[in-house]
Amino acid sequence: MPTAVDTPVPDRTLPRPPSAGAGRSATRAITRRTHPLWFLAPAFAILLVFFFLPTLFNFIYAFTDWSGFKAAINPVGFDNFTDLASNGTLFRALRITIVYAVLVAVFQNLFGFLLAVLLERDTRLNRLARVFFLIPVLMSALAVGYVFQALLKPDGGLNALIGTVLSRPFDYGWLADNTWTIVVVALIHSWKWMGLSMLIYLAGLKTIPDDVIEAARIDGATRWRTFWAIRSPLLAPAVTFNVATALLGSMNGFDIVQATTGGGPARTTEILNIFIYRTFGQGLFAQATTMSLILFLLVALMAFPVIHLLRKREEVLS
Amino acid sequence: MRRWISGAVAAALTLGLAACSDPAAETSAGTTVTWPEPTTKLDGVKLTIWAAQNSNTVPKKVVEGFQAATGATVEVVTIPDPYEQSIQTKVATGDKPDLAFWQPTASMLTAINAKTNLQPLTDAPWLPKLAPDLRDITGLLDGTRYAALVTSPAVEGVYYNKEVFAANGVTAAPKNFDEMVTLAQQLKGKGVTPFHEMGADRWATQWWVQVLLADEAKKGLWERINTGKEKFTDPAVLGAIKKYQELINAGLFNADIKTAKFEDQGAALLDGKAAMVVQVNSFFGQLQAKADTATLDSKVGFFPISESGNVGTFIPDQSNALVAFKTGDAKREAAARQLLAYWMGPGYSDFVTDRKTVSLQSAVPNPPGVPQALLDVHAALPAAAGSMQALAVANPDLYINLADMIAGTMTPEQVAQATQDQFAQLAKAAGATGF
Repeated sequence: MPTAVDTPVPDRTLPRPPSAGAGRSATRAITRRTHPLWFLAPAFAILLVFFFLPTLFNFIYAFTDWSGFKAAINPVGFDNFTDLASNGTLFRALRITIVYAVLVAVFQNLFGFLLAVLLERDTRLNRLARVFFLIPVLMSALAVGYVFQALLKPDGGLNALIGTVLSRPFDYGWLADNTWTIVVVALIHSWKWMGLSMLIYLAGLKTIPDDVIEAARIDGATRWRTFWAIRSPLLAPAVTFNVATALLGSMNGFDIVQATTGGGPARTTEILNIFIYRTFGQGLFAQATTMSLILFLLVALMAFPVIHLLRKREEVLS
Repeated sequence: MRRWISGAVAAALTLGLAACSDPAAETSAGTTVTWPEPTTKLDGVKLTIWAAQNSNTVPKKVVEGFQAATGATVEVVTIPDPYEQSIQTKVATGDKPDLAFWQPTASMLTAINAKTNLQPLTDAPWLPKLAPDLRDITGLLDGTRYAALVTSPAVEGVYYNKEVFAANGVTAAPKNFDEMVTLAQQLKGKGVTPFHEMGADRWATQWWVQVLLADEAKKGLWERINTGKEKFTDPAVLGAIKKYQELINAGLFNADIKTAKFEDQGAALLDGKAAMVVQVNSFFGQLQAKADTATLDSKVGFFPISESGNVGTFIPDQSNALVAFKTGDAKREAAARQLLAYWMGPGYSDFVTDRKTVSLQSAVPNPPGVPQALLDVHAALPAAAGSMQALAVANPDLYINLADMIAGTMTPEQVAQATQDQFAQLAKAAGATGF
């Protein structure tokens, strides 16, 4: 059987002997030949159609009167923005969205971090446990929402369990409290995504060089001291990534809230995306677009300071 | 290379712009409508009907009959709830069925952009056969017919438990709203829960306010609101909202009003845990799923109510009517009209018998087994006032605001203001003058 060993290998993948002066242009030529720019075209086309264009249209339609009621689309200037600004619903939805996002960011990172520390050692049991905590990340968010909705109903599984433990009937409406339901939903969201945070924190913990820990131990640091003074500061990049993705990801949340409460009770969990969905469903497409533009701008505005702040913490590393 | 890329980007952008412009573009209307014979052969033609979860069994018998008579294939597709939102979104992106169940009111015909998307049903062959006072009750937008009414439109009124009334010595139904409140107070004194409301499922909350507005509606309330001359925040509507809240605060409703759901409401009335429920026909549909006609006839009665007397408020809903879409395929469009002509023509008798529902046609008698309450509902129709859904140019989320009021997060004034703001926004989008 002929093998590849016998076939002459074209030398373009082999590094050429460096020659003074021509070195840089030679490498460039290699890159050019092995990775031509047009290889980017398919990826770029997808990015264009599914990300850039919708974002562009988000800007355009926000300034029109596009609706389900008529076929014509006319520009209306800033009408949609002034309408929304004069309407309290938008600001309420924005406030709820930010509260929700902050709660998720806190819970998800807390749980993820605890899990990572708990499951850091590579034992067989820990590996298995990591897999189990990662499963919710792979589950459909709607499925997670419906499962929890069934569990948290007044006559659902959780109340039955509490009732058995207390040996008296217990029928608290976990998803029916005007004040606390948003916390419950944020906990569900965090439960779903904590496996991902765990994974990133684990990766962060693994990259801490052993010699640093060893040096600390030789210096007489306790395990507790090592953990707080050495290991947790070195996790800064992981914290940046986790906090940013949790905070900004949950600003765009929809599925879990829709499946558990649908925005209720009394609209106390009506995050902006649910409000947008409701507005769009009424045929007010332009208004819904305007809201999603506002959400886009809000996420962008929050992303920069948050990431900047967290990056500052990483400076201890350099 | 760079020029090549910028060229590609420009081409893709142009293509994208074209693709993302409104697919529901205006097409010219105004040609005369032809009506094929109901049983003309349609071999190889495939029609799609969109239906909601609570209406997808309605066309069963008609579809069977039509397929056997014409050779066409008809598929009923269930669109998930919230039905209207799902359909509007689909139609906005250019996805259309041949026929769909749709609320035949002017506001909802506007919401689906009937002039562009729907076939006019002018001179439909079944119209002369309809009972005269039901012929033009709904389905029209600016004088053009877009919807075919197939079942008796829903009426907002009071469903009551006959046994609870009898046990407490009530022999006659109240003659007006005040009498009903007096009766409720008497019942409460005897330890009976007079009214039941479902604050968690929300949508029924608006019936109370609308019933209280029935007299005003007859005096042109909605025309005034449609033209911006009157607002939800003015005394008429705000007064109704306040009265509703007073009744709730007076303890005339079930104790679990904030968390009760639609299912609870049906069970409460049937089990006699509550004496009265202000509801529409779909509520009775729920009761029919729980009990047979004989039980319902002995247990549940219906009376319409308004401030001045026994006046109902009619609200045709999605399960009452169908619309035919302009799909651009002339053959299928004609077949869709033919299906409607079959439904309301040769197939109508089988249809009402199968559905055990009230007949809209004088020549087709009511089938046996229609519960008395439904006959009473139907009898209330000719004198009924129009609901907000039937007469207003837009349909704001009054019920969500009222449910928030029940939950304690909004005052009646805030309910009225929020509803008015949303109404104005929708009316403006729909192109109503004065907004």
